[in-house]
Amino acid sequence: MNFKFGFAAALIAASFLSTTAASAKTFVYCSEGSPEGFDPGLYTAGTTFDASAHPVYNRLLEFKPGTTQPEAALAESWDISKDGTVYTFKLRPNVKFQTTDFFTPTRTLTADDVIFSIGRQIDEKSAWNKYISGGTWEYADGMGFPKLIKSIEKVDDLTVKITLNRPEAPFLANLAMPFASILSKEYADSLEKAGKKEQLNQNPVGTGPFSFVAYQQDAVIRFKKNADYWGTAPKIDDLVFAITTDAAVRYQKLKAGECHLMPYPNAADVKSMKADPNLKVLEQEGLNIAYLAYNTTQAPFDKPEVRIALNKAINKKAIVDSVFQGMAAPATNPIPPTMWSYSKETKDDTYDLDAAKKMLADAGVKDLSMKIWAMPVSRPYMLNARRAAEIMQDDFAKIGVKVEIVSYEWAEYLQRSKDKNRDGAAILGWTGDNGDPDNFLDTLLGCDAVGGNNRAQWCNKEFDELVKKAKVTSDQAERTKLYEQAQLVFKKQAPWATIDHSLAVVPMAKGVTGFTQSPLGDFTFEAVDIAE
Amino acid sequence: MADTAKTQPVTSAALRRQMLAEFWFYFSENRGAVIGLFVFIALVIIAVLAPVIAPHSPFQQYREFVLLPPAWLAGGNTSYLLGTDPVGRDILSRLIYGAQYSLFIGLFVTTLSLTGGILVGLIAGYYRGWIDTVIMRLMDIILAFPSLLLALVLVAILGPSLTNGMIAIALTLQPHFVRLTRAAVMAEKSRDYVTAARLAGANPLRLMFRTILPNCTAPLIVQATLSFSNAILDAAALGFLGMGAQPPAPEWGTMLAEAREFILRAWWVVTFPGLAILITVLAINLMGDGLRDALDPKMKRS
Repeated sequence: MNFKFGFAAALIAASFLSTTAASAKTFVYCSEGSPEGFDPGLYTAGTTFDASAHPVYNRLLEFKPGTTQPEAALAESWDISKDGTVYTFKLRPNVKFQTTDFFTPTRTLTADDVIFSIGRQIDEKSAWNKYISGGTWEYADGMGFPKLIKSIEKVDDLTVKITLNRPEAPFLANLAMPFASILSKEYADSLEKAGKKEQLNQNPVGTGPFSFVAYQQDAVIRFKKNADYWGTAPKIDDLVFAITTDAAVRYQKLKAGECHLMPYPNAADVKSMKADPNLKVLEQEGLNIAYLAYNTTQAPFDKPEVRIALNKAINKKAIVDSVFQGMAAPATNPIPPTMWSYSKETKDDTYDLDAAKKMLADAGVKDLSMKIWAMPVSRPYMLNARRAAEIMQDDFAKIGVKVEIVSYEWAEYLQRSKDKNRDGAAILGWTGDNGDPDNFLDTLLGCDAVGGNNRAQWCNKEFDELVKKAKVTSDQAERTKLYEQAQLVFKKQAPWATIDHSLAVVPMAKGVTGFTQSPLGDFTFEAVDIAE
Repeated sequence: MADTAKTQPVTSAALRRQMLAEFWFYFSENRGAVIGLFVFIALVIIAVLAPVIAPHSPFQQYREFVLLPPAWLAGGNTSYLLGTDPVGRDILSRLIYGAQYSLFIGLFVTTLSLTGGILVGLIAGYYRGWIDTVIMRLMDIILAFPSLLLALVLVAILGPSLTNGMIAIALTLQPHFVRLTRAAVMAEKSRDYVTAARLAGANPLRLMFRTILPNCTAPLIVQATLSFSNAILDAAALGFLGMGAQPPAPEWGTMLAEAREFILRAWWVVTFPGLAILITVLAINLMGDGLRDALDPKMKRS
């Protein structure tokens, strides 16, 4: 195409846009990266889910916007058997799949679609189990679905029965996660017949608020409003993901009005974003925690008094200010405040060097020298672990504790920090998957996780019994109580120094309304609108 | 000529003095080299006198003065001339102490790779044959890797620390010295004075180290100065990638890496360590240029 033609086309497009601007609203989101694919079951990255699971698909249950509470979506209601192993879902009737250039559905959502979508992830014999070479059902495997789910059966067209091998309280929350998105079996069958199975991962068809139009690798993804959406229809007509990997460039584009909303700004830029009159900035505590895990099997860190003394010597405010420029909140509990069952009873160890010194002396610890492991990479929950470690090093020196900072390459770091005989306390963190406290408390601090995710190597009977009991209890009020108690035990025993919960910051143009920040870090646009 | 002819018995001290004078004559003709030399001397003085000169401790964190701009900007504070970093440490003091690290790294790495290179190169050049083939192929393999990549791999295996970083860099710089020494030794070995020494009964060790080596030093000195600046750069790069000096060491590359995110908001945290690296490396390279002019007989115009 020559330049002149391009220019003419642009002119025509511009005039076309100006005449139709009132009727067609285009929302541009400067996303942070390319999706790995469009079949959410295969992947684990939030970037992929933002471009596939959230606009295109729905799940049986979905998280209520702004919370981690699962609520009815494609399943209208459900029933759990007394022993907690049989889940019967009643599907919403007349849910239409999207009509696109590449597929026209002839039927509405049925139990077959649910069985297909989840079944292929756990049944190795399914024709769709290995349809992408090298693809694995990472999330379903990580959640233990193949072992947990005994069977998925169709009762009638709108009723599905899932039988588990054992009771599992977080199961409903798991089903609300992106990997459990419901795909169209009819579409899959037509692709199989045409011998183009891999298209399922490239041209998605679902029941969600937006239907897929086109994807240009590393540049742009286009969606348009799904006119037949079963829920509240989206207020925007076109949704565009402008893929921009550099945070500074995203900020420039937002400032220039080239996009309406961007994720993950640089911490150092947030201050100037807040000062910009054309932008507004939303903030929320992310579903994460950064912590310093002592090795509780080694002297003198096996004594809770010593750990608490050290906790008292950590100036969390200085860390939050210096590492996050204020884009984080000091942490008290091992779970973030946006999560249900967060205990307000626990008291944080206040920063008090004199008290810390005295406690150490009382515990009979003198001339202590220790190592602090600092992660080499920047994660949402800890942007710069070395700087945090330097601040701790300085404070610990004031109470007479000598600190050496060590670091390894990231994969090596994760591996070596699991070692039961690890020398030193390790800085690490966690971002929640499904908003269930079990995902933090048992995964990171339970006895089963010693030598694995339990970097403190901490096995406390009282704590472990509480969280194990909560895991098999279905009543949420009951579970809340158990988790609150567990947090009190945690704080008394102090296997970690809880450092911070980082804030998720979302800058957007002033005219954007209706965007709700998800504590899980998802970006969804079904409710957004833009003022002209 | 007439003068030297008159003072017939030239003492070795006088000869050395005369060589030095000649060296300085050629060296000082290169203006850049002289400037480089002075900057380098200034750096050495700063590094040695760091505890006296530095206004603050490089490790002291002044939490109430975080990310203070340089003194001449609005909001600056004269007691922190170049401002403070994200945890409130004085940047000037850290740069001054950083000079110690950089010079030490340069010295250590150059010494290590120079000694190693000379030993291996001498053996390869003197004995030739299969020893030579084995050694040179080994050096070719090392040379085939991009030097920073090789250093990164080595550090990843040994564990990140300044010592390991220096050893890794020394190893990557090694082949240059080996090749230079070997080439010089091969050229010198066939000269008459070597044959004469051998006929006089000198053993191979004496031949290698006393007879041949002193005549190969000129290119090695030049290469050593260039390696010196290379080592500083590579160590800074390793530090930048988080594989070199570990915090809170005020090593320049590490300082640069720690401050990267502030490039738009607080330029001084990034700029000054970068400038320090630039000035040091430039000075040493200029000096190396002058040395080559003065030592390489092919470059002499007289």
